[in-house]
Amino acid sequence: MATRAEEFPALLERLRPECEEIIARYEHSRSALLPLIHLFQSHEGYASAEAQRAVADMLALTTAVVESTVSFYTLFFRKPVGKYVLQVCRGLACSINGAEDIMAYFREKLGIGHLETTPDGLFSYEEVECLAACDRATCMQVNLDFVYDLTPQMIDEMLDAMRAGTYSVVPMAQTDKPERTWKVLQDTQVSQGGKSLGAIDQPNPNNGSGVDKDGVIMIDRILAQQPRFEGRTKERLANVEPTITTVLESEDLQ
Amino acid sequence: MPVTKVLTAGIGEANLRDIDVYRQRGGYKQLERAFKTMKSADVLEAADKSGLRGRGGAGFPTGRKWSFLPSNDRPRYLVCNSDEAEPGTFKDHMLLEETPHLVLEGILLGAYGIGSHHAYIYIRGEFMRGAEIFNQAIEQARKAGFVGKNLFGTGYDLEVTVHRGAGAYICGEETALLNSLEGKRGEPRLKPPFPAVAGLYGMPTVVNNVETLAYLVPILEKGAEWFASVGTERSKGYKIISISGHVQKPGNYEVPLGTPVRELIEIAGGLRPGRKLMAIQPGGGSSACIFEEHLDLPYDYESLAKAGTMLGSGAMVVMDDTTDFVRAAHNLARFFAHESCGQCTPCREGGDWLETVLHRLVEGHGLQSDIEMLNRVGHQITGINLCPLGDSIEPFLLSVLKRFPEQFEARVIRETVKA
Repeated sequence: MATRAEEFPALLERLRPECEEIIARYEHSRSALLPLIHLFQSHEGYASAEAQRAVADMLALTTAVVESTVSFYTLFFRKPVGKYVLQVCRGLACSINGAEDIMAYFREKLGIGHLETTPDGLFSYEEVECLAACDRATCMQVNLDFVYDLTPQMIDEMLDAMRAGTYSVVPMAQTDKPERTWKVLQDTQVSQGGKSLGAIDQPNPNNGSGVDKDGVIMIDRILAQQPRFEGRTKERLANVEPTITTVLESEDLQ
Repeated sequence: MPVTKVLTAGIGEANLRDIDVYRQRGGYKQLERAFKTMKSADVLEAADKSGLRGRGGAGFPTGRKWSFLPSNDRPRYLVCNSDEAEPGTFKDHMLLEETPHLVLEGILLGAYGIGSHHAYIYIRGEFMRGAEIFNQAIEQARKAGFVGKNLFGTGYDLEVTVHRGAGAYICGEETALLNSLEGKRGEPRLKPPFPAVAGLYGMPTVVNNVETLAYLVPILEKGAEWFASVGTERSKGYKIISISGHVQKPGNYEVPLGTPVRELIEIAGGLRPGRKLMAIQPGGGSSACIFEEHLDLPYDYESLAKAGTMLGSGAMVVMDDTTDFVRAAHNLARFFAHESCGQCTPCREGGDWLETVLHRLVEGHGLQSDIEMLNRVGHQITGINLCPLGDSIEPFLLSVLKRFPEQFEARVIRETVKA
């Protein structure tokens, strides 16, 4: 069977008329960048490296410019995600109405955390900022369709229906096997023990297809390997229990 | 009860997504009248006289905003801001999905009012359904001859384009929105030049909120005087208030500006039985809290400003005595840290550090010096950034820290030992 990367040229040819129609909507072609990435993501399930390169070609931009723009927006996935992207609202109004319990329930039921995908590739889970549906807290989006007034029972039913393939929301296109996480970290995090850089023609974890032919240096690390600050605080406190001054010095709070 | 239905009329009763239903209820009549009998300047004058202020957050008088456009013949643009992401706000979400034709008519009127031939509506990426619904509305209106070339035989061409964002709160800031609309990273621009002089593609541009533009329709229908007769001295007309949190009937309620806060809470069903009011965040995630003693405050721009907070986007989050204010403060600090675009150091680093310190407090590992530091650092983030996002981090935190210091102190595990 052909891989996604091999099938991409055919997809591109198929979508080209639609792409041209989108570009024609705007007075300046670059404005079409976001809608074009939305279009490719809807067909491939994520914004693949090939798609970003194709968009760069169409708009006469460099790949770096496209990637820089794509990486700014949280709804563009630069790596494959699960068939159902579960985005639970963690905004203030949801939070004071029990979102923390709902999120804990999700994490327990799915066995994964924030920004992670289940090993079977069915679910990706993310805790997102206010979704503008605070009157019906707690709320979430499944592949950008709203679900309101969540209860544990609803979650059970929803997950069962998704596993059985009977859920009413159309699953995300899935052209590549998802990895554990789709979060791409920034270079500042390399200094904290992140993974090494990608380089020309080196396998690069940011590219769904693997090799970074453009030599765009990208940095990545699996989220799970990153000690989040809550962990760090605990570790630190455990290690330096007797001399609290070390904590203060190390953080230089003054 | 002061609940009035102007923009919200018919929502939940009729299928306003259908252009025929909307027209039966008098829809697009004002558009036709404006094109056939009014000059652009007349629309501007009506907006100005009505005293309508921007409903997105800043509350800038709409007519004055339009009047800043230079009088030259460069192309000019109207951009409707529907990147609604202020925590607690959900009015544009409702307007967009439930009454898209009203929003569209408002956009068309606004574009005519400033003499623009191409209007854009920037819809938040999460509102995928809303964008679909709005696209359908545009197509229906195009068939009926309200969008496109030579409208009403006047030779005036007017195109409307839907642009979907992709998940970034900062794109609600007008210059960040314009960058995003130009296909760039949603980073705010240095001002001046303001968008009125050099906005989209470097051309004169007006960015207005969904609700602001929608109000143009009733203003033209019933007259600027009608709108200006409601509300207070400097806050005219009606406003949709999104009430959420610990109330029994959260939702969008349209009321005259100046309605007392107490009444708003009653409209939203009041608190749950047996609960006590602790705090109200009156204007979205960026505003400072008001408390019990402010219940009789009129809900309008100047009264809230006097109380040290703001009306913002009209999003009221009510919090009762079950609220953990350290968690709430951490929640909002995390929001702003997450949404900071990263251009300005105080906002990028300050937000992140505040989140870290507040997280430590939430976990019960706080240091005594943390509280003093929170008090001090908040002010250092404010007023020195390109856009107001950095300024938004501190108000809620400082207001609850001042009011409920015991909740923060309870999370401190030990005294500071100075090195």
